[in-house]
Amino acid sequence: MSSWLDYTINGLIVGNVYALVAVGLALIFGVSRLINFAQGSIYLVGAYIGWVAVVQLHTPLPLTIIVVAVAAALVGLIIERFGLRPLQNSVRIAPLLATIGISFVLDQLVMLTFSPNPRALPSQLPDVRFQVGGGTIGPLDLLIAGVGLTSALLLFVFLRYSKLGWAVRAASQDRDAAMQMGVDVNRVNQAVFGIAAALGGVSGLLVGMYYNQIDTAMSLQATLKGVVAEVVGGAGNVPGAVIGSLLLGLVESYGVAVFGTSYRNLFAFLLLVVVLVLRPNGLFASARQAPPEPLTGTFIAPSRPVRIPRWALLAATAVFAVLPFFPVSFYVLQTLINAWLLGMLALSLTLVAGTIGQVSLGHAALLAIGAYTSALLSLTLNVPVGLAIIGGGLMSAALGTALISPSFRLRGHYVSIATLAIGEIVSLVILNWESVTRGPIGISGIPPLSLFGYELISPNSIYGFSFVVMVVLALLQGRLLSSHLGRSFRAIRDDDIAARAYGLSLNRYKSLAFIFGGFAAGVSGGIAAHLYSYINHETFNTQQSILALTVVILGGLGNVVGAIVGAVALVGLPEVFRIAAEYRILIYGIVLLLLVRFRPQGLLGTI
Amino acid sequence: MSNIDRRTLVKGSLAAMMAGAAVSRSAFAQSSEPILLGVSGPLTGPNAQYGTQWKQGFDLALDEIQAAGGINGRKLAYQFEDSQSDPRQSVAIAQKFVSNPAIVLELGDFSSPASMAASPIYQRAGLVQFGFTNSHPDFTKGGDFMWSTSVSQADEQPLLASYAVRRLGLKKLAVLHLNTDWGRTSRDYFVNAAKEYGAEIAVTEGYIAEERDFRSTLVRVRDANPDGLILISYYSDGALIARQARQVGLKQVICAASSVYSPKFLELGGEAVEDVHVGTRYFPEDPRPEVQKFIAGFKKKYNGTEPDAFNAYAYDAMNMAAAVVKIGGTDRKAIREAFTKVKDVPSVIFGQATFDVATRRVKGAMNAELVVRKGQFALWDGKPT
Repeated sequence: MSSWLDYTINGLIVGNVYALVAVGLALIFGVSRLINFAQGSIYLVGAYIGWVAVVQLHTPLPLTIIVVAVAAALVGLIIERFGLRPLQNSVRIAPLLATIGISFVLDQLVMLTFSPNPRALPSQLPDVRFQVGGGTIGPLDLLIAGVGLTSALLLFVFLRYSKLGWAVRAASQDRDAAMQMGVDVNRVNQAVFGIAAALGGVSGLLVGMYYNQIDTAMSLQATLKGVVAEVVGGAGNVPGAVIGSLLLGLVESYGVAVFGTSYRNLFAFLLLVVVLVLRPNGLFASARQAPPEPLTGTFIAPSRPVRIPRWALLAATAVFAVLPFFPVSFYVLQTLINAWLLGMLALSLTLVAGTIGQVSLGHAALLAIGAYTSALLSLTLNVPVGLAIIGGGLMSAALGTALISPSFRLRGHYVSIATLAIGEIVSLVILNWESVTRGPIGISGIPPLSLFGYELISPNSIYGFSFVVMVVLALLQGRLLSSHLGRSFRAIRDDDIAARAYGLSLNRYKSLAFIFGGFAAGVSGGIAAHLYSYINHETFNTQQSILALTVVILGGLGNVVGAIVGAVALVGLPEVFRIAAEYRILIYGIVLLLLVRFRPQGLLGTI
Repeated sequence: MSNIDRRTLVKGSLAAMMAGAAVSRSAFAQSSEPILLGVSGPLTGPNAQYGTQWKQGFDLALDEIQAAGGINGRKLAYQFEDSQSDPRQSVAIAQKFVSNPAIVLELGDFSSPASMAASPIYQRAGLVQFGFTNSHPDFTKGGDFMWSTSVSQADEQPLLASYAVRRLGLKKLAVLHLNTDWGRTSRDYFVNAAKEYGAEIAVTEGYIAEERDFRSTLVRVRDANPDGLILISYYSDGALIARQARQVGLKQVICAASSVYSPKFLELGGEAVEDVHVGTRYFPEDPRPEVQKFIAGFKKKYNGTEPDAFNAYAYDAMNMAAAVVKIGGTDRKAIREAFTKVKDVPSVIFGQATFDVATRRVKGAMNAELVVRKGQFALWDGKPT
């Protein structure tokens, strides 16, 4: 029995840690309806500034906190002014991509300045421990709880009783109306970003001290857990974020208690999916609250797509088709093979995200399902590789659609968060379902690609195969988009109420889109499995999902040619920047930011 | 990349990229050009710290090799390509290396998915992939061009089990392991050996690499009532677990795998890692000349920093590469043959390294039983903690 008390206390302690990030995310979401993917990076910056202050300058704790808060707030203001404000009149999805780009840049800057080696960030509080249940808590636990609760309380009071707070709430309900009433929306945004960033920075500092360890990989994890906690509590709801964080901590802790450590995150993400399905506005949203997303499709704004003449497309296809017959190096071919595989994934995502408006952040899961199915079919049942890949595609289509179907009733950002969670769940199931997936050991010795008994092992033949498969999928998708199905998809994206009024069954069309999209992604994963010969649960990770979304937004949502152009660009750019060695991801992030800044509707525009 | 200036390198790789084989072959044919090794590893991304440590180990080894006259008068150099430990990038790098005739041997990658995805390319092209941190049991089964000096977990874990069970007298163990291919394989070998030596395994817990909070895991450990904790961890997560174990009041003996052997483990763990036992392959006061040379050289080159396990792996790997190239010359096939011939290469990890031609791995890692005393790794004096 006493163990349960310990599990409860431990859950609350770690929930406490999540709350610091979640509150900042909730504040920003409340005002600008934006999941700030850069929040984790500000947290990282805060931790390292704290390290400089503590270890190099030997500042006392109160001063350290002030220094970190001010410095992080400055970073937040810079992000708001130069990263996000220029985008405020463009597509709603552009700022999301911008925050991803900003997080790349910040993480890389920290890594280049401080090296990727983890560092110790010693706590400046006296080392006394209080016995609670079977374990102990220290002064840092209390400080973290204090900062979390105080900041949530202060924010609550600020939003409810101060004039600027009213302006923040007015701007969050209706930006245009607030502007008409004379609210300086830019100032509101500045205030919000400054406060959220200061909080993010301080939380990085405190969490770093808590674990006596900071490293550059901590930012993505912080964002992920923060987003989960925030959405569980009700996106944009500051006190809700605190309670959501504590709940998340408890669920994880009890999950460990009952099933063991390797199931921990599985429970975190299951909690998220369950909450989203049952109460899409979060646990603490009041019924009176306005819907979290606008009813019509302003999330993905229409734009005029770039018309590419048919001859140019044909010529480009022809050039890429005959490329292997010229003396190009295998390195270039391999890079293009990667681009074609990513292109298939992007085709899939551009259909579900762009054409029907379900912005998925868990698309790597479809790759993984396809890859594992194809690998296991060919290895254990001796299915010919060509058929196994098709099997992978079908399994991805079926399983992916089934997994995603509970979130069909969600809209806008909530779809992204639900799919993010589903993606994580798939990866954790692969890790834990050892009898089938061989767990962390992974599957090795996957046979190489072959077709009708001929092995495709030269880069030329793999190139040809993947290119043909991608072109066929692209043509099919183009055909689909110009049929009545494509028009129905776009109708649902642009105005789902009107679409329903015309008698379109939303779930059926969303399923159709995921079936087609799942197939393309599954085929891509299947080919990758046979190309790599070895896969495990880390092969298809969250970064791939984020990369796929970047490709799709960059190419233009729903745009088939755009997806392929985007894939070539995002596979090619990091390779081209290899000359810059460790700086290449930094340059890549900056290029991404510039592209979003000047082509927020994507290179080729939304269709 | 300290031994070859960036411009030559860029020119070389650009040439190889743009014009394929012909141009670069002529560019590297003169014997004044260094002999080039390809390295595929993480310099950015979540595993970037390990790539940085590789570089330190490589650079130290190269300094010594160059000072001793290089390889038959030619310099040895490496071209490090950042893969972020991502299989998509490691396969592209593999094609880049195999199509650049100047590259005579490849080292890396770091993670199993990235390394083993590239293996088929190296195997088909006939370029040796020398994976010096690849402990995955199937890595060298990828083909006869896959060689590894990574300490086999079949060798290492029984040593750790012997330390914990026979020497420290622990009878009931809780095993915490990183839930990766390495951690899982290690756990299985450890558990088998520990049982054979007569210990009972009370509980095993696998955690993912990003995990930072272990308090609830440690409650499970406490409830299983073990008399010792075994950490199959890297230094950063190992330090976290040790700290939190002490915070939640677990006072059992902690015994950790050699991968925590790093000054960072002491820095990150602080007082909590005091009295932690570590089974390692070498230790600072080790009288073996190769160890003394390595540690003294490392401290001199890197402002007094102590080397860690990954520095040592990289240092050994570069020395092994030099020994192999000395025998095999610059022909890729001959280099592969040289791996079967090379004998008794001085090594920090193995003492003297010779490949077992059947498994393409090196057997017989050295063993040192250390304990953390007063914030330093010291040879265990046999006294209970």
